Amino acid sequence: MFILKNLLFLLMGAVLLMAAGCQPSSENMETPDGESESGGESGEEDSSEDAASEGDDVLSVWHIETGNAQEVLQEAADRFEEEHDGVTVELNQYQNDAYKEQIITAMGGNSPPDIFHSWGGGWLENFVNSDQVMNVTDDVETDRFLQTGLDTVTFDDEIYGVPVGMELTPVWYNTEIFEEHGLEVPETYDELLEVVETLTANDIIPFALANQPQWPGAFYLMYLAERTGGPDLFDEAFNRSGRTFDDEAYVEAGEKIQELVEMGAFPDGVNGMNYDNGQSRQLMYSGDAAMEIMNSGAMLNNVRDEMPEFEENLDYFLFPEIEGGEGSQNHAVGGVSPAFSVSEKTENPELAVELLKELSSQETAQGLSNRSGNISAIKGVDYEDDYVERLSNTLNEADYLQTFYDQTLPPEVAQVHLDTTQGLFGQSITPEEAAQEVEETAKETLDE
Amino acid sequence: MAINEPSQQLNTSAGTYRKKEKRKKFLVILGFMAPALIIYGLYVVYAIGMTFYYSMFDWSGIDANFDFIGIQNYITLFQDLTFWQSLKNNTLLIAASLFTQIPLGLIMALLLFSPVKGMRLFRTVYFMPFLMSTVAIGILFIYIYDANFGLVNQLLGAVGLDSLQRGWLGNEDTAIWAVIVTICWQFAPFYMILFRAAIVGIPEELYEAADIDGATGWKRFSNITFPLLKPIIVTSAILSIIGALKYFDLIYIMTGGGPNNATDLMATYMYDQTFTNFNMGYGSTVSSMMFIIAFIVTVIIITLDNKRKADY
Repeated sequence: MFILKNLLFLLMGAVLLMAAGCQPSSENMETPDGESESGGESGEEDSSEDAASEGDDVLSVWHIETGNAQEVLQEAADRFEEEHDGVTVELNQYQNDAYKEQIITAMGGNSPPDIFHSWGGGWLENFVNSDQVMNVTDDVETDRFLQTGLDTVTFDDEIYGVPVGMELTPVWYNTEIFEEHGLEVPETYDELLEVVETLTANDIIPFALANQPQWPGAFYLMYLAERTGGPDLFDEAFNRSGRTFDDEAYVEAGEKIQELVEMGAFPDGVNGMNYDNGQSRQLMYSGDAAMEIMNSGAMLNNVRDEMPEFEENLDYFLFPEIEGGEGSQNHAVGGVSPAFSVSEKTENPELAVELLKELSSQETAQGLSNRSGNISAIKGVDYEDDYVERLSNTLNEADYLQTFYDQTLPPEVAQVHLDTTQGLFGQSITPEEAAQEVEETAKETLDE
Repeated sequence: MAINEPSQQLNTSAGTYRKKEKRKKFLVILGFMAPALIIYGLYVVYAIGMTFYYSMFDWSGIDANFDFIGIQNYITLFQDLTFWQSLKNNTLLIAASLFTQIPLGLIMALLLFSPVKGMRLFRTVYFMPFLMSTVAIGILFIYIYDANFGLVNQLLGAVGLDSLQRGWLGNEDTAIWAVIVTICWQFAPFYMILFRAAIVGIPEELYEAADIDGATGWKRFSNITFPLLKPIIVTSAILSIIGALKYFDLIYIMTGGGPNNATDLMATYMYDQTFTNFNMGYGSTVSSMMFIIAFIVTVIIITLDNKRKADY
């Protein structure tokens, strides 16, 4: 009895302690997570329930597309359902960051979706190395896709997904401001510096940048490093064959970023500005800033959504060459989004592969390009939108596509690369330190 | 022996009766507690246990392979500068919560009892921050701190303090303070409500007696209100310390732990390690450490509080 009583007392005490401990903060903490979690769980529950009650095959697809792109995917799913009797396709849409958390939890908990979104590269490779992704080499008609797109889902010559959309990341600029101040599109880095000087002298912020999420600032490092060290620099460092991440070219790229910061090329407090809240775009729309390096999809869709009349003044160029550098203005930074892959653990491998084909069909690609400004990773798309067609041509004519470091590198190295680059913009780290930190992590992770 | 037997029997039967009664009572209590206990066991005890278990592995979170590495993760953790940085930020947050939120809450609660016109309005206004969704607060303050259009810089410019203008959230030195101010702004009203409820509970006679003795203002507060509020202050302190140790949301929304890890808390660092860097094992180590620290701190406070009570 004594023991029981004590046990009860202890338990009650423990409950109280926890309840007290959980009080104010955790209540709120559940809001962002709780929402997305319930979304994911209900999605999974639905699929298992449906399967049980109807005896049907259910395929679940996790994606992050919004707006028109989401509709296009839904139409593709509908087409697939029509063609395959008794098969239900469930599209679950996630918010970008919540998605990464959900998919890791689902994969780790052995209940992955049948088809899932990815950005290819090191992020996908993590799942491939963990035997979570189906090898679809024999099912992919490689000649239908752009090689640069396929490269991001190919590991050790085996293909683990299909690229659907591409991103090009040029320097966008406000033509009105350029005309007003008699500026021309710069072809060399020195010309770019002159543009920056003219703009700052006229109280215009040269580059709009919202670097709180870290990836927008990384564009500058990637371009500057490529223009200095050439297209092979990153590949050598990544494949551990030749130059490394602490190469002189990376140090120089860091120095150039800090030089730009000192010249006042960026708005105050870039590292605290949030891209998703539009803090960089606002500067472009208001005419306070003249240029912004940004992904084509994000830039075009946001402008059309938020300030359609701004499109008239919006043009782009690729980052200028550095005199004496090994890179060229014809080399672009870009990447893949979305790419779709099939889970190794899917219960319906044949059906899932069929659905993968529908998601990357000509019809789907056409819909995505025409209705959501997507540069297609699929060849033979007939663009209705001139702007998207021009971007697509620029991408196709580029002699080299530098895929985003943070998507190509394993997440650990990517994170250090993003952190240190943010530090460069905040001038809290020297270019040498930044390069060394990335190289140290790369050594630990990539040399294994 | 023989004589004793009956009485002993009587004793034991009464004993078993009482025992039965007690057991019945226990079962009833247990029955009522069972739902909570099951949920608690599954989602708290089991989860904490699993966290400690995972912290012994080098595991990505998605891999079928677990590599048992014992306490290697903990050794790494103690040498991890970012972890120490985040622990330091947690400590700052604790200090700010204790010395800002609680006094501010107390002052606001006391103000609400002063005979000023429009108190009802203020009561609502004071409480409003706590009613807003955290995400909305985060985004609101991102705009307030915006370097170019933000309210703070505009105000500074208007009063001629241009030299103080800066990108509050983008500067590694000011970012953590900017978020801490926001956190205090959000949570001070929570303590205000606690204190208000406690002050209402103080018997009016005490104040009447104080009036007769001629005690006013500060004396009334320091001799009556404050001593009687002590228990609720201790509770508030526990709440705010544990809350600060586990804090996540506004940091995640406003700075994401940046710039360059300058505002990382243990919880945001754990999130980054687990879900961004694919280090479920190491992330579990960070959260185990969080649990240990929070647990020790709670035990210390409760022990001190019990001592204080015993001294009375």
